[in-house]
Amino acid sequence: MNRILPQIDFGLKHLLERRSDAPPPNTGSSGVRKASWKKDTRSRVVAQARYDHLTRGRRAQLCVDDVSVSFDGFRALDELTLILDQGELRCIIGPNGAGKTTLMDVITGKTRPDSGSVFLVGDTTDLTHLSEHEIARRGICRKFQRPSVFQSHSVLENLELALPVGRGVFQSLFARLSSEQRSAIEQILEIIGLKEEREKRAGLLSHGQKQWLEIGMLLAQKPRVLLVDEPVAGMTHHEAERTAEILVGLAGTHTVVVVEHDMEFVRSIAQTVTVLHEGRVLVEGPMHAVQNDPRVIEVYLGVD
Amino acid sequence: MQASSSNQVHRSSHRLEPVLSKAGWLAFCSLLTIACVVVPILHAALPTSSALQIPTYAVTILGKFACFAMAAIAMDLLWGYAGVLSLGQGVFFALGAYAMGMNLMLSIGSSGVYRSKLPDFMVFLDLKTLPWFWRPFDSFWFAIFAALAVPGTLAFLFGYFSFRSRIRGVYFSIISQAATYALMLLFFRNETGLGGNNGLTDFKNIYGYSLQSDATKVALYILSAAGMCGVYILARWVTTSKAGRVLRAIRDQEARVPFTGYNVVHFKVFAFTLSAMVCGLAGALYVPQVGIINPGELQPANSIEMAIWTAVGGRGTLVGGALGAWLVNAAKSWFTVVLPEWWLYILGTLFIAVTLFFPRGIIGVFARSKA
Repeated sequence: MNRILPQIDFGLKHLLERRSDAPPPNTGSSGVRKASWKKDTRSRVVAQARYDHLTRGRRAQLCVDDVSVSFDGFRALDELTLILDQGELRCIIGPNGAGKTTLMDVITGKTRPDSGSVFLVGDTTDLTHLSEHEIARRGICRKFQRPSVFQSHSVLENLELALPVGRGVFQSLFARLSSEQRSAIEQILEIIGLKEEREKRAGLLSHGQKQWLEIGMLLAQKPRVLLVDEPVAGMTHHEAERTAEILVGLAGTHTVVVVEHDMEFVRSIAQTVTVLHEGRVLVEGPMHAVQNDPRVIEVYLGVD
Repeated sequence: MQASSSNQVHRSSHRLEPVLSKAGWLAFCSLLTIACVVVPILHAALPTSSALQIPTYAVTILGKFACFAMAAIAMDLLWGYAGVLSLGQGVFFALGAYAMGMNLMLSIGSSGVYRSKLPDFMVFLDLKTLPWFWRPFDSFWFAIFAALAVPGTLAFLFGYFSFRSRIRGVYFSIISQAATYALMLLFFRNETGLGGNNGLTDFKNIYGYSLQSDATKVALYILSAAGMCGVYILARWVTTSKAGRVLRAIRDQEARVPFTGYNVVHFKVFAFTLSAMVCGLAGALYVPQVGIINPGELQPANSIEMAIWTAVGGRGTLVGGALGAWLVNAAKSWFTVVLPEWWLYILGTLFIAVTLFFPRGIIGVFARSKA
């Protein structure tokens, strides 16, 4: 009994402290989650109420609320709050170590935050409690920095695997490809320009083609939110233009988040830009305003 | 009329990959015929003086090899497709063998050495009644069920807990190897109630048929050969399905798969459990043909040997596993007669040579020369 009590006390205290400005203690990656179930539901209710408050009057799609992540004392994300609207194309920029990739990791479940929550609109589940595949099934898809297609599978098979159907073991044992699904794949092949390469092993594609195949796989997943990490890294100018076209075309029907270093590329597609700095949102707004913001200039030039 | 037909066309669905190509089915059916019809005919119809006549002991050896080939296909399904190298496949094989052995033991009845209704080793250990877990093995069909269910359940639990804890690669291999060793020690103990280091032996008959009779031996061979072919088709069916493609994706890029919405743990547990059940079936068919099962079968070396068969034949091809099992065991049968003390060195050299020079095994060599 004596052993358990201080632990509960600690949990509640931590919950209250989060609302004030005091920094939460570093509990490690799963410290908070190990607390009792009751505390868990309570924090869920609190988080849900905050989420409703934050998204009031907006066409929100994804809400990252008060998320903090530390790695061995280094604050990768520091009480970060970010709301993405439906159908918007958001670019996230920031100097190295600003927390861009960590943010993506938290949203997709790769990294568990020390505190904070992530909600998808119309869903009361805190995404930070789910595993990667559950988040992916809810329609949050991610394109990694390095192209990570399935090398020994053909282009067609890569797209088939990405389709959001039959993801259980037994469904996939008996899975058949309907002609609707086949035509959906054909359409995607058309968009990403890999019609001729459909039977080719993905490992044999060029770098740019792999990037497109991965974007195609994201399309096949019918995502609600697309997270794209450095889509034009290593692409030729022409390929980058084509990628920009695809991404701009996707916005409107999907919420697209692009993390990119290439400022020219960001300028060519950006609607709203969020600048991260030291794990916090520094500035958020249209590209031209962000570019002329003295804080942004200081962060970028100051670091250099 | 036209609308309905176009609707039908629209709704048609198909597998992305056929289980076997047309040529594949042809080759498969001819092999099945040779194994299940031609060999028994060569055995039974020809006079013993004929050079083509296959003697009974050879038929039994072929039956044994067919069981090994089944285990190798199971290994390939797991290692070659899901990328999980389990060095404990011999455990599942032995568990299946023990399950069948228990039935064979009980069907001896009171014609054992001690003329007791209990198996001889129990009389020897001074047991008065049959232990509770032996009782259902009176039924032949229960033994078959247990030969599938016990390895399956063990693999499910072991797989679930290790894959969930993200134990993978060489760590999983080492842990499965250690578990194999621990289980072998358990089976060596008399208290386990499975015959201790002598194991189960002196079987008289199976399902009412005498194990000494020629016809039973040939029938067991045919069952094993047909079983091997059946297991091959089952494994082909799995690997050419979407689940097979997911397994390959896990093998190549495990970290990426969850972001496409697949639960990696479920797929790995599935592959592990299925391969364990196939191994169990192979063991159950193996034991009446060799007439003994003892803890020696649980030696880590046996499990490693299964990995060698698969590596020699060629991983990720299924045929390779079966081929490797046949060739390595044929070589083993020959060398252990001619140069018994050299066999382990030859096996080790073979494994190293294949890994270094033919990473894709025998099948890989053929595929390359064709391309």
